[in-house]
Amino acid sequence: MATIQVFDKPMCCSSGVCGPDVDPALVAISADLQWLVRQGIQVQRINPAHQPTLFAANELVRQELQKHGSGCLPVVVVDNAVVSRGVFPNRQQLANWAGIAVNELPVVSTGCCGGGVKPTSSTSGCCEPA
Amino acid sequence: MRFLKQPTRLLFFTGKGGVGKTSLACATAVALADQGQKVLLVSTDPASNLGQVFGVTIGEHEPTPIPGVAGLFALNINPEAAAQAYRDRIIGPVRDVLPAETVKGMEEQLSGACTTEIAAFDEFTGLLTDGVATGKYDHVIFDTAPTGHTLRLLQLPTAWSNFLESNESGASCLGPLSGLEKQRQQYAHAVAELANGDTTTVVLVSRPQKASLAEAERTSRELATLGIVSQQLVINGVMPNNGSGDSLAVALRQREAAAMHDLPDTLASLPIVQMPLQPRNMVGVAALRALLSETPEAMLPPQGAASHIPQSLPALSSLIDAIESDGHGLVMVLGKGGVGQTTVAAAIAVDLAARGHAVHLTTTDPAAHLSMTVESNLPNLTVSRIDPQEERDRYRQHVMETKGKNLDEAGRRLLEEDLRSPCTEEIAVFQAFSRVMRESREKFVVVDTAPSGHTLLLLDATGSYHRDVVRHLKPGTQVVTPMMRLQDPSTGLIHATVR
Repeated sequence: MATIQVFDKPMCCSSGVCGPDVDPALVAISADLQWLVRQGIQVQRINPAHQPTLFAANELVRQELQKHGSGCLPVVVVDNAVVSRGVFPNRQQLANWAGIAVNELPVVSTGCCGGGVKPTSSTSGCCEPA
Repeated sequence: MRFLKQPTRLLFFTGKGGVGKTSLACATAVALADQGQKVLLVSTDPASNLGQVFGVTIGEHEPTPIPGVAGLFALNINPEAAAQAYRDRIIGPVRDVLPAETVKGMEEQLSGACTTEIAAFDEFTGLLTDGVATGKYDHVIFDTAPTGHTLRLLQLPTAWSNFLESNESGASCLGPLSGLEKQRQQYAHAVAELANGDTTTVVLVSRPQKASLAEAERTSRELATLGIVSQQLVINGVMPNNGSGDSLAVALRQREAAAMHDLPDTLASLPIVQMPLQPRNMVGVAALRALLSETPEAMLPPQGAASHIPQSLPALSSLIDAIESDGHGLVMVLGKGGVGQTTVAAAIAVDLAARGHAVHLTTTDPAAHLSMTVESNLPNLTVSRIDPQEERDRYRQHVMETKGKNLDEAGRRLLEEDLRSPCTEEIAVFQAFSRVMRESREKFVVVDTAPSGHTLLLLDATGSYHRDVVRHLKPGTQVVTPMMRLQDPSTGLIHATVR
């Protein structure tokens, strides 16, 4: 069974409720990752502001940061290979990596991109206007 | 000692600003130390006065021994210093491992109001529960910030315990829940210590005045709902009857007698001690020793009372002339507790309204009594209060209705869960504060702020909020953040003070 690791941007809390704005994309990814856990997939989410040592211990992530700067976060690592950077994947992508079928409706429209549409921006985690 | 016959190990002194909490806490600490006990005196007020009282610089990490009082140590919990220590602890190990830019991002994320509160709170519960830090002391005495802030501090162990208990998503502002077993135990332990009458006593300090007693009553009830029922009331600064026929003295005595006669039931059932008004400033160990001595005559009137009061200070109305000239604007009245900033704010607002301007008078003091001060119905004067709990509920509802709109059941549940984090209260209060600041474009907004420490934290939050907003800004967009509004020259800051 695949192991999926999400290396977040530094965040105070996982949904932004205590910052200036709540980012629905953060709520969406939380829900999708929980869904994966319910399917029996090993999921690990690491926020450098909370678990800096664990975060910095990952060789792949350190390389990504050296090469691309902080804009590469969030970095998704599946079985020790980087599969995505700069955006949160949607449920379909997560399911593909995990090798399982999406048997429940994807949870969320992220507000700005609409559900399931691949975000186009590499830095904001959300899509830019066309 | 003249009160606290059998002092418990933990003693909290709380009350409205200016009632004499610090003096009584310090005097109690000195008295217990003089009895041979080992005492730690802790200030949780962001604008602590312990240093002034004892004439030494008080440590923020290590307790400072107080000269002239064997066995007495003092410590200030400074939220900013606690937050810095918290950041260093978290970031330190990876500072040289990760790129500087990433480290900077981490520092920014750990600089919000929420981290500051958590760091100070962690330090506070640590003192309540950590045998290593406080085990060697026979008594730990807390000189707390003015009531609102203190209630918040005392509510947090329960709030966080409940949040950690019910949170299923596995993450929180404190970090991933899996790593929080230590905190969970520490908070649960703190809740238990506070509710245990054998270890904890809360001394409610009040002046013999209606507003002050009303606040003590509110605090008493709120503490009781938290299970903190071991309480005592000290009515401090009672005007002594020395037979003087002075009309001011007679009027004060009558007013105080009336206030004490109408004592709210909740308070009347507590052990009560009256302390007479003192002729001298409570600074220095000698004055503190005299305060609680069995022979109050030891209190000598100050020698050669100074009379350097300038006779020709400008009147408040000339200040209002200057404020009025812009036709609108934000006026913030600041000051230490008890100096009269509420009275000054109300006077300015009423005067501006009487001059025909639309005025909004509001307060950010969690323990406000504005409506008790302004009992008038001027047509163009609105009086409101930024109530932390109301604001929190409003914020939660707003986020659910906007950000939660497109989420499905599971997503909404997650968001609701995150919104239950005690952190949201700080954010909600801050947003309410920003909202009234926006109104100052059209009318006069007069803000009666909470006592200094709390207000400084609020103003600081506008700074981190500003940086957050600017960081997330798309190129080419323009915003006016609350901080920019504060920096606008039409904003007036008024410091209220007593001589």
